[in-house]
Formats: sequence, structure tokens, C-alpha cells
Amino acid sequence: MSATAIEAPALPAPRRRMDPLGLLALPGIAFLFVVFLLPLALLLWSSIRGGEGFTLAGYWRVLGDEYYRGVILASLQLGLVTTSGALLLGYPAAFALARARGGWQVLLFALVFLPLTVSIIVKSFGWGIVLRRDGILNWLMLNLGLIERPVRMIFTEGALYAGMINVFLPFMVLPIYSVVRMMDPRLPDAAATLGASPWFRFTRVTLPLSLPGVVAGVSLVFSLAVAAYVTPSLLMGDRYMTMSMVMAKAFLNLRDWQLGAAMAAVLLAVAAFVVVGASLLQRRLGGGR
Amino acid sequence: MAALRQAGHLTVAGAAKRFGAATVLDDLSIAVAKGEFVSLLGPSGCGKTTLLRCIAGLLRPDSGRITVAGRDITTLPAHKRNVGVVFQNYALFPHLTVAENIGFGLRAQGIRPAEAAPRIAEALALVRMSEHAGKPVTALSGGQQQRVAVARALVVRPSLLLLDEPFSALDRKLRETMQVELKHLLREVGITAIFVTHDQEEALVVSDRIAVMNAGRIEQLADPATLYGRPASLYVLDFVGQSTRLAGRVSAGGGGLVSVETALGPVRAPGAFAPGSRVVVAVRPEAVTPGAASPAEGLNRIEARVREVSFLGSRTQLHLDLPEEGEDRGVVELARLPEGIGPGSPVTLSFREEDTMLFPAA
Ligand SMILES: Nc1ncnc2c1ncn2[C@@H]1O[C@H](COP(=O)(O)OP(=O)(O)OP(=O)(O)O)[C@@H](O)[C@H]1O
Ligand SMILES: [Mg+2]
Repeated sequence: MSATAIEAPALPAPRRRMDPLGLLALPGIAFLFVVFLLPLALLLWSSIRGGEGFTLAGYWRVLGDEYYRGVILASLQLGLVTTSGALLLGYPAAFALARARGGWQVLLFALVFLPLTVSIIVKSFGWGIVLRRDGILNWLMLNLGLIERPVRMIFTEGALYAGMINVFLPFMVLPIYSVVRMMDPRLPDAAATLGASPWFRFTRVTLPLSLPGVVAGVSLVFSLAVAAYVTPSLLMGDRYMTMSMVMAKAFLNLRDWQLGAAMAAVLLAVAAFVVVGASLLQRRLGGGR
Repeated sequence: MAALRQAGHLTVAGAAKRFGAATVLDDLSIAVAKGEFVSLLGPSGCGKTTLLRCIAGLLRPDSGRITVAGRDITTLPAHKRNVGVVFQNYALFPHLTVAENIGFGLRAQGIRPAEAAPRIAEALALVRMSEHAGKPVTALSGGQQQRVAVARALVVRPSLLLLDEPFSALDRKLRETMQVELKHLLREVGITAIFVTHDQEEALVVSDRIAVMNAGRIEQLADPATLYGRPASLYVLDFVGQSTRLAGRVSAGGGGLVSVETALGPVRAPGAFAPGSRVVVAVRPEAVTPGAASPAEGLNRIEARVREVSFLGSRTQLHLDLPEEGEDRGVVELARLPEGIGPGSPVTLSFREEDTMLFPAA
């Protein structure tokens, strides 16, 4: 909000008093406290509670153990690949969506957002039909003579990435779309009349103005993808363990609260890092130069 | 017309543009001389912005040719045309400061910072924005934004400047100041400019010549005095200034003067119409004198009734009761309101035959 002072120099300094409208947030805050903050605090508490008082043993197991470190890295990798893929596909899609007119816009909206309305379970079975050994894709490629014998696709990392990108794409498109929609389409035009080549227009006008949406989309998709549970479980089972899958196993099967809670804390730290970093970055970008 | 087109710094020849079924530019031609300041005047939706976008290269006309300084630029992309544009609502880059906005074109064209800096400073000074150089453009007032937009377009030394309603976002007072300022600035720079407006007064103030546009065509291109004094059509008459108009039928012609029968009496006017033609007689408000002037050679006189009187400060308008709605309307402007004239009173109006205009009835 550093821009406010520059925008309105004539106004008296804003008083540091809360707007009474802020009280409207109280019910929401109370709700979040009961269903989110309280359980979270209890969980974190259980991550540092051992047989005889305070202990960091849970964290030592999660961060010191080769296997669990691998799980954390695998989750980060999944987050990174999913986010990159979604950004690559979602950025142009968001522009198309924002600039499309009439029927085209409806169609594009449906293409991007209809998948959100389909349960992840349904989607996973759908992918199974397409990807499995005797699935449609193998059948098609066999008949086209592209392959000699069926290729294993389901339970591969490639299939996992494709599935993850499919699931999280709307969360990339939506924030970018909402920023691009507000962008004056005449700005690149103005740049063109000043002699700017298409590349210069993109890098100096379009991209910087759309960055707030990109930052929001990236942090959203990354924190969702790092924490993914359902999609990797359904598409890979035990072959690709994510942090969330380890947590679920620790709580449900092993009844190892210390392990599960410590893993949850690590995941929380990663997500918090991304969200806070993104909002700092966004403030830098939004606050003028 | 052919000679003009040859001499034109900018020429648009037979430009047409359709959006779906709608014809927005309809075989439009215009030629603008070097250093000239031409206004495009027309109602909303007549295609003014579309024409500018075609000239700037932001839109490709379906047919026709556009040349600048003899060079055909019809298919050249916008960034290679060197045609400056001041957009409606300015389209300044919100993420850049005033100086960065003005320097944008220089950077885009690869001009070294050392060379660009003095040019930016000069442009800032030209529009009196030097002390605001470091401000974000979002912190500027409307008038300041408009000046930045003009400086941003001029700093790259375009061969032609297009301005799309640059004053429409300003309040009346500021607008009048900026009109004179802009006219002065552009004359000083000596640039050829096309200026879009739908405000006829603004067009009269700022331009060397005015092109009145109607439904994708240029209805008339002339200097302000000609446009006002000798409108080429009823449309132009209507769009520029006010007038008293009466429907009539030509009763006799010959000798350069024709006689017309109107509901308010016979009128004579210069023109060439065959007897029996249906015409519209028109006279500008300030050409009309009220009161019973003594009958004289070369003077038309009509009797009418005053419906309403509007006081406008420097002058007073009489709205006349005319026998028919539609073609007929009457507005007369007087420097002073004569004694005893008010709503409902009868008036005698006289105007010179040579000030009387005739148009074929629509
Ligand atoms: N990209 C487009 N697609 C479809 N129709 C368009 C497009 N651009 C303009 N039009 C239509 O063309 C007509 C002329 O538009 P234009 O913007 O040139 O008008 P204008 O004379 O500049 O009007 P105004 O004074 O309101 O700015 C309008 O009816 C408009 O709806
Ligand atoms: Mg327009």
C-alpha cells in the first residue's frame, strides 16, 4: 500500500483505526479459528510432544531419514512440474479467455472450468480407461502403427504429471484471467504505435502487467500441488509417495502422530513460504517501480 | 481533388472496413497536407476511431490504400509506421512513471539512454510536466495524463499524429484551455495531425480543416468558415452550428436566384433548382434580424411566432413556432432581445437572400 501515499498527496495521513466494516470478518475468523487454527495448533503441539515432554524427534525422523527426505523432494518436484506445466498451458489460455467474445468465450470457459465440476474420482477412472494397457490411447497408437505393442502409461510419472496439471489448471487460469481481463487491450496497441516490436510489447507491457496474476496462480497451484493427495494416490498408489500420503499413512495406518504431525508442519512451512514469498513479490510488483 | 491527393502528406484512398454485416468505413477517401491540423467530426459510431486505427496500422482495412509522404503503408505493421497516436483516455502504461512513459518509444526503438535522456527532458518541458517526471502516471490528474500522452507520442518524432478525442475526459473549463494549448503546441512542432472529436465547437476551435463524417464516409472536408457558411449537405448544416430551416417548393428559377414557397411566405435564395423541386431553406441564426425592417431589395422577410426565449449570456436565442414538425425548425440568435418580445409574441424576421441556403429535401 505504499502507492496510496503517492497517489493522494493532498489527503491527510490515514488514521490507524480499523474500519467498523472490518467487524464483518468476525464470524469468518471465529469459524476459521474453531475448524482450522485450533486443530492446527493441537497438531503442531503433538509434533513436539514426546513421552517425556518436549522433543524434536519427529522432525529429526522426517528431515534426517533418507526415505522421508525423498518424499519431501518428490512432493516439491511434483509441485514444481505441475506448476510449470499449468503456467505454460494456462497463461495463453487466460489471454484467450479474456479476449474471446460471445460464444467463443462460453466455450473456452466450459473447457477450462467444466473439469472442476467433475469429481477427481470420476476423472481418475476416466484416465484409467484412456491410459491403461488395453485402453483407448494404446489401441489408437497400435492401430495407427505408431507402436508395436502396448505401452505402459498408467502408473507412470508422465501420467501423474498430466493428471495433476489437468486438475490444477483452472487455479492457474483464473487468477491470470482476472488480471488480464482488467488490462486495457489498447496498451500493447499504444506500445506498437511507439515503435515497439511484438516481443518488446510482450516483455515490457503485457508480461509486467499480468505478473500479479501469474504470481497468484503460481503460489496457488504450487501450494495445492505440493499438498496433493488424491490424484497421486489414485494415479500412482504407493509408487509415488507425497508428503500428504505419508501423513495419511502415519495417522491412519501407523497411528504415529508424531511423524504425521511433523510432516504436516514441514508441508505447512513450505506452503507458508510460497504464499508469503508470493505476496511479498506481488506487493513489489504492484507498488509501482 | 486529384491534385490534392497528390499533394497530400497523408492520403487514404477508398478505404473500406466491415465488421460482420456492419460497414463501418465505406469507400472513404481523405487527403491531408503536410503540417495541417484536420479534425474528424462525426456522431458516435460513425467510424472515426476505426479510421484512425486503420491509419495507425492497428487495423487492416478490407480494401483501399493508405500512404504517408508518398509511401504506401497499407500493409505495414503499426510498429513500423511511425504514426503517433494519442488514445481516447490516453492508454498510458500504468506500471511506469511519467518519464518512463515518455521514454518508452525511444527505448523500444533502441535509442541509447544517453541520447534519450535529453529528448525526454525536452518533451517533458514541452508539455510543462518536468516537475512530475518521477511520478507514477496513476497519480496524475486528467489534464496531466493528457499532456503525458501527447509528449509520449511526440518524442519519437512521428511523421503524423493521430488524436482520438483527447479532451473527452476533461471538464469543460480545462478542455477549453487544453484545446488552445494543444493547437499552439502542434503548430510549434509543425506536425501533421488528425484530431477526432464529436464536439463541433472543439473542431471549429482547433483545426485548419474539418472533415465531417457520416456513416463511414467523409461528408465534407473544408475549412471551418466554409463548413459553417456553405455546408455541402443538410447533414453538415445540422451537425455544425444551428439554423432556422423551412421546407418549401421551388416556384420559379433563373438568374442564379430561385423563389421558394414556404409556409411562412415566399423566400428567394441563390441556387439552381428546377421549379417544383422540394427543398429545405436554411439560414444561420446570426444572419437573421428581427423586427419590421423596411422592405428592401435582396431581403427575405418571414412572419413567425416566438415559442421560447433562451438567454445564453452573450446572446439570446429565439425558438420559433413553425407550422410543421420534422423538416422545419427555427432557432434565431440575437445580440440583444428587442423590447416586447417573449413567448407567444409575433416577430418579423429578415435575412439577406445571399445568406439563405437551399438544400434538396431529404
Ligand atoms: N472490433 C470491432 N468489432 C466489431 N465492431 C466494431 C469493432 N470496432 C468498432 N466496431 C463498430 O464500428 C462502429 C464504429 O466504431 P468506431 O469506434 O469507429 O466509432 P467512433 O466514430 O469512434 O465512435 P465514438 O465517437 O463513440 O468513439 C461502431 O458501431 C462499433 O460498434
Ligand atoms: Mg471513437
